[in-house]
Amino acid sequence: MAFPFGNSALALLLTAVLSLAAMITLDGGAGTSQRPDLIIATFTKEHAAAYAPAIRAFEQEHGVRISLQVVDQRALQNRLQAAMQVGAQVPDMVELLTGSMGIFTSGPLSNVGFHDLTDRIAAEGLDQILVRNRFGLWSSRGRIFALPHDVHPVMLAYRRDIVERLGINVEELKTWADFERVGREISKDRDGDGVVEHYMIDLPSDGGDALRLLLLQRGVSLFDSKGEVAFDDPRAAQVVIWYVRQTVGPHRIAFPAGWGQNLAKAMMDGTCLFYICPDWRTKQFVNDVPAVAGKMALLPLPAWEPGGIRTSTWGGTGLAFPRQSRNFELAWKLAMRLYFDPDELGQRFADTNILPPVRTAWSRPEFSRTDSFFSGQPLGRLYIELADSVPDEPSHTYMNTAVAKLSEAFQNISLHYRQHGEKGLESFAAKELRRCADRVRIQVNRNVFLRQDPRRQS
Amino acid sequence: MLTSTGVPVKKRRLSPDRWAPYVFLSPYFILTAAFFLYPLFYAAILSLHYTNGPKHRQFVGLDNFRHILSDPDFYQAMKNTTVFAAASVFIQLPMSLGLAMLLNAKSDRLKGMFRLAIFAPNLVGQVFVGILFMMLFTPRYGLFNRLTQAIFGAGIDARWLGDPNLVMPAIVICSLWMYVGFNMIYFLAALQNIDASLVEAARIDGAGPIQVFWNVTRPAITPVATFVVVTSTIGSFNLYELPNTLLQGAGPNNSGLFAVTYLYGFFSAQDLGTAAAVGWVLAAVIFAISLLQIFISGVSRRDS
Repeated sequence: MAFPFGNSALALLLTAVLSLAAMITLDGGAGTSQRPDLIIATFTKEHAAAYAPAIRAFEQEHGVRISLQVVDQRALQNRLQAAMQVGAQVPDMVELLTGSMGIFTSGPLSNVGFHDLTDRIAAEGLDQILVRNRFGLWSSRGRIFALPHDVHPVMLAYRRDIVERLGINVEELKTWADFERVGREISKDRDGDGVVEHYMIDLPSDGGDALRLLLLQRGVSLFDSKGEVAFDDPRAAQVVIWYVRQTVGPHRIAFPAGWGQNLAKAMMDGTCLFYICPDWRTKQFVNDVPAVAGKMALLPLPAWEPGGIRTSTWGGTGLAFPRQSRNFELAWKLAMRLYFDPDELGQRFADTNILPPVRTAWSRPEFSRTDSFFSGQPLGRLYIELADSVPDEPSHTYMNTAVAKLSEAFQNISLHYRQHGEKGLESFAAKELRRCADRVRIQVNRNVFLRQDPRRQS
Repeated sequence: MLTSTGVPVKKRRLSPDRWAPYVFLSPYFILTAAFFLYPLFYAAILSLHYTNGPKHRQFVGLDNFRHILSDPDFYQAMKNTTVFAAASVFIQLPMSLGLAMLLNAKSDRLKGMFRLAIFAPNLVGQVFVGILFMMLFTPRYGLFNRLTQAIFGAGIDARWLGDPNLVMPAIVICSLWMYVGFNMIYFLAALQNIDASLVEAARIDGAGPIQVFWNVTRPAITPVATFVVVTSTIGSFNLYELPNTLLQGAGPNNSGLFAVTYLYGFFSAQDLGTAAAVGWVLAAVIFAISLLQIFISGVSRRDS
């Protein structure tokens, strides 16, 4: 019997059917026999490179196969989110960037796609050896959903050679008021060409992460530990006003050096003298700006008031275990190796300069070594001294909304300062922060799943 | 079996000739139903729910619409989108038409090369353009800042992407670079279709260049211009990748918040219901504006 539409159409149809069959067969095979025992996904190649030797050793010891995958942070979050929603295959262990946990905890706690680690952490005594304030980033409504990878205390990195040449005594920069006073003297057009030679500090003009970490240093987080919006606190207005004064107008002491090549150029030219520098950034400076090796040094952040906290925190990574993971126990064992083995952590600090939150590892010799890039300072010890002062930063489902609204408030306050100067600045700042915080409260209250949860965000 | 006239009824056979057209049309209908109609109606249903991803939802009636219509960010996004769309229509399209007229001149030997050079930016994606211009707009070291400093003696530290007042001009500059050449191709095709004898006759009758443009060129390219205006407007309302790459978000003080960026904010927060509601409002706005543009251009009236 002839095919009614001719042989060509029949050939096309057969090709389509055979292709489909082949795809289903091959994909089915890959899904079962070729899948490794564990898949761990991270978003930075630095982490992957640091984990690779430990993972190889773990594979040999346990006779298992582990796949280490590096995926761009945004793609990782989006794909993981989509895969969890439709029940598709997900990694067994996944590293998340700070701020992203809130996306996964927007529904009822029972629907969070990660294992609740709270009881396990307590049972194994991990909470006793970890820096306590690092759990907030990975918690929702009192339950912990990821292991903290780092502490990320913040210092100031500065061009020591230029600072000394300009006669600045860094020992006198104890408070931000001291810093501002010296900055006003330095940030001037000295040769009359209309361009300021040196700005005191690199601060982004939109506030961004720098504003948030300064707020944290002042004791203000976007959400408090009870999950309530907290950035309309009166202290927040003081910090925002200070920031605006440093970044806006002809007398500003800050310049937005940005990232990558622009930052490297600014550092080499000495466009900015001081740079906000969490531990992870020190390695970036070493790798990206070798021209300033030996000319840099580190200094604790100036405090907001005499005797106040001299650090803050910026960023963070957490290791979460999707519930769809087939082998949670094996994944947990690997996590203990990667995140808690003092030998591994010592070597990793030498490779990345990132301070782990595991106190028991800090006695390793790697943490006491001097660093020639930073003028021979003992980089590890400097950050360890600040680790216990790192402020808590509670996570929240609406963290990104709060970040956007804080930025909106900051921009409006900046605009007010440009147009009216100091006149009415304090009352406007308080009003604007309250308005933006209220917008976040509206979003939080719209979430029917949070409303229904008896534990709410506490 | 017989009919009333006694003629035997031919048994109706389902011959290939009868159902073949439906078979050939079926892929289109199936795909349209699966990827257009079903999502459209599902989005309508979704817009009446508060969701946490696709699995968990609760009926909230018109609350999502109430929320977006009372949200200042929605109006900010619509305002930014409208300003950008206006810039596309009133700056970009005249530039495209001007370039098309220049390239339509027969005397230019380098016409082909210019055509390619002007069109080429459109071959790269918006993400590439965003990254490229992010570098060009860098304070102190960016090309634009160096240029303004060299020409005007100021602007070396201008924060194109950090100052709310400069963000929209920066995005418009990017889009001009990217789309002027693309729209120019449409205008060029329309200009090349104009009957040369009409232009010649007008000139013989004493018409100057402006009169020739107004009375001969303009009516001839009106259908194409209408098409370009409508597609540019729709494209402007769908703008997403460029501002998102350039600003890594909504920009300072939401100055780079566009309608689709606003929608995506809900989508990424798993609030698919509100995202669907924004999508429907956006579709209605685009539909209304497109109708208005077609009406104003007079094309619909002339066609009828």
